[in-house]
Amino acid sequence: MQEAASARPEIAIRADGRTRRRDSARLRRLNILVGALSLPLFIGLWELVSRSGAVNMVLFPPPTVVAIAVLEWIRSGQFFGDLAASLFRVATGFIIGGALGILLGILTGQFPVISSLLSPLFHILRPIPPIAFVPIVILWFGLSEAGKLFLVVWGVFFTVWLSTHIGVQKVDRGLVRAALMLGTPRRQMLQEIVLLGALPYIVVGLRTAVSISFYTLVAAELAGAFAGIVYRIEIAQQNLQTGQVMGGLAALGLMSFIADRLFAVLAERVVWWR
Amino acid sequence: MQPAIQVANLSIVFDTNRGQVIAVDRVSFDVAPGEFVCIVGPSGCGKSTVLNTIAGLEVPFEGDILVEGAPVFSPRADVGMVFQQPHLFPWKSVRRNIAHGPRMLGKSRTEANAIADDLIAMVGLKRFADAYPNTLSGGMQQRVAIARALANQPRVLLMDEPFGALDAQTRAVMQDNLLALRDRIKATIVFVTHDIDEAIVLADRVLIMSAGPGHILREVAVKLPRPRSSSVMLEPAYLALKKDCLDVIRAEGLRAFNQSDAS
Repeated sequence: MQEAASARPEIAIRADGRTRRRDSARLRRLNILVGALSLPLFIGLWELVSRSGAVNMVLFPPPTVVAIAVLEWIRSGQFFGDLAASLFRVATGFIIGGALGILLGILTGQFPVISSLLSPLFHILRPIPPIAFVPIVILWFGLSEAGKLFLVVWGVFFTVWLSTHIGVQKVDRGLVRAALMLGTPRRQMLQEIVLLGALPYIVVGLRTAVSISFYTLVAAELAGAFAGIVYRIEIAQQNLQTGQVMGGLAALGLMSFIADRLFAVLAERVVWWR
Repeated sequence: MQPAIQVANLSIVFDTNRGQVIAVDRVSFDVAPGEFVCIVGPSGCGKSTVLNTIAGLEVPFEGDILVEGAPVFSPRADVGMVFQQPHLFPWKSVRRNIAHGPRMLGKSRTEANAIADDLIAMVGLKRFADAYPNTLSGGMQQRVAIARALANQPRVLLMDEPFGALDAQTRAVMQDNLLALRDRIKATIVFVTHDIDEAIVLADRVLIMSAGPGHILREVAVKLPRPRSSSVMLEPAYLALKKDCLDVIRAEGLRAFNQSDAS
């Protein structure tokens, strides 16, 4: 009798645990299903709303119309030219701005004199949104490629500079002391300890700069260009080709998304010890 | 015989925002070659500062420090140090961490790796030679740090509360490991701790320090037989030594208490 009484609660607990586990598995499957339905659901809803007559179809075209506009854009041969022009600006600006940012970040992070010289200037220039430089860039560079690169470089540089600067300064002093005690010469400290210690910060800065390079690309192409995804969006807007405007936005979003994903994969490999 | 370490009239003064504070006040002691000396004292008594100064990481305000007869101005490769935190290079595997010192002294990668592999075997981490530090437990990390400090075959090994961050069980194992290691290496060891048991188990001689400002209260010679293990703590001779040490510390604590009461 006593035995039965003491055994019962245990059984009850176990049974409870099993149902809970089954519940959580069911919940997980439901989440996956809802996630897979998310995009089709919203695109379907968009199609319905656009075609219902409740909104102006010219200003708010349904996804099918957008898709046709994009296909025509590709068929006309302009799409790949636009894509190449935009990618070139983003990639070149990112590489130049990133390289300058890392270089100067190491210098200001490591050498107090250089930091005293440059940091005040950088801290004044950094908060100015790069887009605000569009007018003066047009004055300086006209509608040339150099002006567009300048804007992207400008946007990328400060983010990467700041994160590198902070990364170098935050390198664990304990690691530096340990390295000193092991006979590491001061001139090798940079490559052995400081650079690697700052690397995770630099990678975060570069990843933030990926999306910033796309912001500044938009400003650069809106200011006047002869090809490019954003340039094409602007032309389509002037012709009231709303479908192509939306297609351009989708293309820009996709580009930025893929760039960010690629960078995330890269970042994981660069910081190999994590 | 020339002492391995000579500390003469060492004073260290820190600049704080409340003015200058004397951290260490005229500390003098010698350490013989191959001797194992423990410095015990409460936190803030300046024992770590003394160690950092011997290491060349801090500059004395006054006084002289000689290691192997030569004055210390900056870190030197024949003085190794193990810190309270392992401070392993997170981007290097266990082997590369240990090989770092020999590499910096100009050894080839093959030579440095051979040295590292010997030490890895000595600290019992063969399975983890290619692991990165963040995958190791605290005790294993500290074993790597000790092996790394030994890789340059230092004449003097300085240890700054190396087991302070470990749990009690791991700490006892590490103490036994260190005792066994010590019998195989020839280094002179200065070991800082706030744990009186740890000091007596490990040392040939214990220096008891007191705070405000830091100075040496008493030297206690530990004449317990070697090879030793932490089970020595159960022997009467050990308990007598511990009582001596505790009496000194209690007398000092009372004196400090009365002083603060009077002022």
